[in-house]
Amino acid sequence: MGSSGKKAKAGTGQSAGLFSVLGPYRGTVILLIIMALGGSGVNLLIPKIISHGIDSFSAGNFSVRLVITEFLSAAAGIFIFTFLQGILQTFTAERVARDMRTRLADKISRQSYSYILRSNPAKFLTNLTSDMDSVKMFVSQAFVNIISSLFVISGASILLLRINWKLALAVLGIVPIIATSFYIVFRKVRVIFRKSREVIDSLNRIINESILGSALIRVLNSQQPESMKFLENNVESRDLGLSIVRLFSVLIPIIMFVANLAVVTILALGGHFVVAGSMTLGNFAAFNSYLIMLIFPVMMIGFMSNIIASATASYGRIRQVLDEPPPVESGTVSSPIRGDIQLKNVSLSYGEKPVLKNISFSINAGTKTAIIGPTAAGKSQLLYLLANLIVPDSGDVEYDGVAAEEYSREVFHRQIGFVFQDSVIFNMSLRDNIAFNDAVTEGSLMKAIETAELSEFIESLPEKLDTIVSERGTSLSGGQKQRIMLARALALNPKVLLLDDFTSRVDRKTENKILCNIQNNYPDLTLLSVTQKIAPVKHFDQIILLMEGEIIATGRHKDLKESSPEYIQIYSSQRSTQHYEL
Amino acid sequence: MNYNLNQASAKEARKLPALASLRKLVSIISGERHNIVIAFSAIFLNAGLSLLGPYMVGYTIDKYVQTKNYHGVLIFAGILLAMYLVAFIVNYAQMRMMGGIGQRMLFSLRNSIFNKLQDLPLDFFNQNKAGDLISRINNDTDKVNQFFSQSLMQFIGSLITMTGAGILLLIINLPLGLAAMSPALILWIFTRGISPWVRRRNEASLKSLGNLSAEIQESLANFRVVIAFNRRDYFRRRFEEANGENYKRSVQAGIANNMLSPFYSFASNVGQLIVLALGIWFIIKGYFSIGLLISFISYISSFYNPLRQMAALWANFQLALAAWDRISLLLSFENNLKIIPASNEVSSSSCINFANVSFTYPNGKEVLHKVSFNLQKGRTYAFVGPTGGGKTTTASLIARLYDATKGTIFLNGRDIRSYTPCERASKIGFILQEPILFSGTVRDNLLYGNPDCSGLTGDQLGKALEDAKLSGLLKRFDKGLDTPIQMTGDGISLGQKQLISFMRAILRKPELLILDEATANIDTVTEHQLEEIMENLPSSTTRVIIAHRLNTIENADEIFFVNSGKIIPAGSFSEAINLLMHGKVES
Repeated sequence: MGSSGKKAKAGTGQSAGLFSVLGPYRGTVILLIIMALGGSGVNLLIPKIISHGIDSFSAGNFSVRLVITEFLSAAAGIFIFTFLQGILQTFTAERVARDMRTRLADKISRQSYSYILRSNPAKFLTNLTSDMDSVKMFVSQAFVNIISSLFVISGASILLLRINWKLALAVLGIVPIIATSFYIVFRKVRVIFRKSREVIDSLNRIINESILGSALIRVLNSQQPESMKFLENNVESRDLGLSIVRLFSVLIPIIMFVANLAVVTILALGGHFVVAGSMTLGNFAAFNSYLIMLIFPVMMIGFMSNIIASATASYGRIRQVLDEPPPVESGTVSSPIRGDIQLKNVSLSYGEKPVLKNISFSINAGTKTAIIGPTAAGKSQLLYLLANLIVPDSGDVEYDGVAAEEYSREVFHRQIGFVFQDSVIFNMSLRDNIAFNDAVTEGSLMKAIETAELSEFIESLPEKLDTIVSERGTSLSGGQKQRIMLARALALNPKVLLLDDFTSRVDRKTENKILCNIQNNYPDLTLLSVTQKIAPVKHFDQIILLMEGEIIATGRHKDLKESSPEYIQIYSSQRSTQHYEL
Repeated sequence: MNYNLNQASAKEARKLPALASLRKLVSIISGERHNIVIAFSAIFLNAGLSLLGPYMVGYTIDKYVQTKNYHGVLIFAGILLAMYLVAFIVNYAQMRMMGGIGQRMLFSLRNSIFNKLQDLPLDFFNQNKAGDLISRINNDTDKVNQFFSQSLMQFIGSLITMTGAGILLLIINLPLGLAAMSPALILWIFTRGISPWVRRRNEASLKSLGNLSAEIQESLANFRVVIAFNRRDYFRRRFEEANGENYKRSVQAGIANNMLSPFYSFASNVGQLIVLALGIWFIIKGYFSIGLLISFISYISSFYNPLRQMAALWANFQLALAAWDRISLLLSFENNLKIIPASNEVSSSSCINFANVSFTYPNGKEVLHKVSFNLQKGRTYAFVGPTGGGKTTTASLIARLYDATKGTIFLNGRDIRSYTPCERASKIGFILQEPILFSGTVRDNLLYGNPDCSGLTGDQLGKALEDAKLSGLLKRFDKGLDTPIQMTGDGISLGQKQLISFMRAILRKPELLILDEATANIDTVTEHQLEEIMENLPSSTTRVIIAHRLNTIENADEIFFVNSGKIIPAGSFSEAINLLMHGKVES
């Protein structure tokens, strides 16, 4: 009981929060309300004009011109008010949505990589589209309607009270009944709306996976299981939708019925007053017509309750992201990096699974280091740490004796080039894909393209560098994508280059050329390469052998070949073809 | 074939008229006929009752309150109460039915779109963006649902009230009634004229929402690069652009949607004015009485109030139609990889045979030119060549991810196009260059698309893995079969993903196994293990290995060199090396 009370309180808090989205747009909102009330105000004049016209006609002093002028000016007034209301309503709703989207995107963009990994990207998509849509609907449809409904209800209530307070109190007795049913339904429906948004998240995920996996699904002919996965969630979504329908299809008839009950009450009780002589017939008729004025807005609020409930759930989800504490501020060190790298007792784990155990090593500026080791040894994670994409659980990653996170982000990332293992390609021109940082000049772009051996390929394209690459790079071969990734990192003119198994999809001949080009074009570069192949890194200054998150051996090729049995095993697994390579 | 949804919709101006569109939409919920009849009867009854209510009150006042007959008042209050109780039930039925129909329609629509996606070939996915497709499945269907479950009810209710009032107006006084309703005729013409424009505006707005969704999807998927290159501003800028565009389009659509209301209000006022002026003139002429004029004017508002409400509902209708256009375009696409009738069964010793095959990607250059080669059953083939040379394309053609532009591909001597997808999938195991895992566990992923093994108990599966010599590889996963997998997560390395893809393919025991650089990120020691596993496959298994790491192809029986649209046999291993090292790189 206590907990449900608390929850309900949080619920009203959220609804109140929903209204707060309009805060920054106070001016427009007030104008909007004026338009809405103005429109309905002038609307009330029309019956007056008609009855006045008829009265004056009966009295024999009817002026056609006057009635027409009055009438047409009222009609024009209504036209202008509703017209402006429509425009203001649209602008307010769209601006609320646009600005909130911007804030949300801004928030997401400032988060750390590990935050994005932890949260579900499918959820962000729902936040920015469906959730935003229901908040927008609240602003554009529900808000004005509720304000003007409340206005009409209070106005009509005052009029009722003035005519006959006993009867009015009997009629206003419906208000607590309606409020209670609202409260009960809202408490239930809020939870369901929230759940149904979460199901939309998983639908998004399933669709997305089925698109990313489209090739595999077709190879395995596994469309059926995909459809089953989707169906399962879609059924859940439908059932939640039906529960919402069930609740509202009780709530709205109840509201209507209670409002109609008021009509019956008036008829019976008011009729009694008239018959008993305590109320005039005229007052009774007026009472009745004001009551009808009162009922329509009450029903309107009933209809809008659906939108409010859905918007409340959505806004709660959006708030959750917005209220996320900001990530650690970027450091302030902005001195150029020379390239001395030092890892001190670095440990990292995913959940309970240790990935890196107490790793320490150092790399001198301008040298070349290779990291080799079996699959799942933690090599990629090590590079992510070095690129400051993730932070270690304990230990330090230092560049020139300064911890990586103390560097200003901008300065840091501009000097560290990272070539990811799998390709990440954006749906934009090759030029924009490669010159991915504003600091890239035309000269450094060309040098990077040349170094990555892409010139010939780009020349062969009809639109050269301005060729648009399709999403996920589906129009490119694996090797082309990988070289674009390399060019992107090199275009920064980095001090340190981190290669994650870069050569896995590039043929031997091109690989040799590229390594040679890097040597010539970027002589001062500190290179750190995760690789499977020993041959290309034989001459490197340092080879680090990583196994199950631990450093097994460190040294030059000729030393390791003598001293490390694990290294010898890897080396000999590649030896059979060694004489062909180089 | 052009599968690009956004281009197709721009080109295809062949929009169905509103009614025809609606009919197509209704066909989706044809199974609901029974419910629709009940819901519509409820709507009719409800509209009738709500018209009757005020009339009853007026009647009671005139007949009993005025004559101070309280007993009669009570009787009529009782009748009214009973009527409202009925209205309560009818109202409930109406909301429940229509809401239910809306939800089930949403459900069927989503299912049909998703199943259509499953039905379409890979080409479709190369031409469309994930975020846009998600937006079509979730946002557009929701717009259609909103109209059906909320607006349609009010729409019909209003229509009924309006018609009733209209008939009454005509009965009371035909010329005055016609005059009163004449603005409605003008409105109707106006609405018809403006609707296509409103629909287009809404379509543009939905399209920009799709683009926004695509933008978000892409940026989130590539967030690593955004951070590593310190381009958080890039994400924000691209997003801002799409967001700004969406804002512009939505404002335009919103204004178009709100455009009808003021005109409807104005027309209804003009209608009242006409009645007032004409009515007074009629009274002067002696055709009409003041009493009749007063009641006529009150009916006129019963006619125009619902009409005014319909202005907003009509805009919703246009929005739903625009959303439906986007959905139906997607549903209208057909898979162009048709199954052709099987020619005579021929027993053939060749597993795969390419006869003069040419292939061009849509809107791309020719990748293969008149290629012919023959792969014998039970042998191991290697395809080598520079990147971008056409190796992956060749493998994709073997798995019929695409059809050859020219020429024929034979699988076991039969045109590959004559196999059902099921037959083909059971024969061919294709380990793709980019390993694909689904959210779930390692077990889910191993058994994915494997109907033979998915029914196995834990022990049986363990044995199957043991038989295939795969159990050793499972040790690379900290929780074995139960290790959780996130498709987008990075808790698992690329090499591990490749291991799972490899195991998945082996476990299916295909006749033809294609490895497209499938082990590129796996260390060489483990790679030797994989070779042993492959040797353990039945001797009839044909293997096609695409690689440039030479040790992986040295055991091949025959090596093909793939480059510049040609596939030529390389004779010996050393000749292949020679071609690879000194051959022409890329055309």
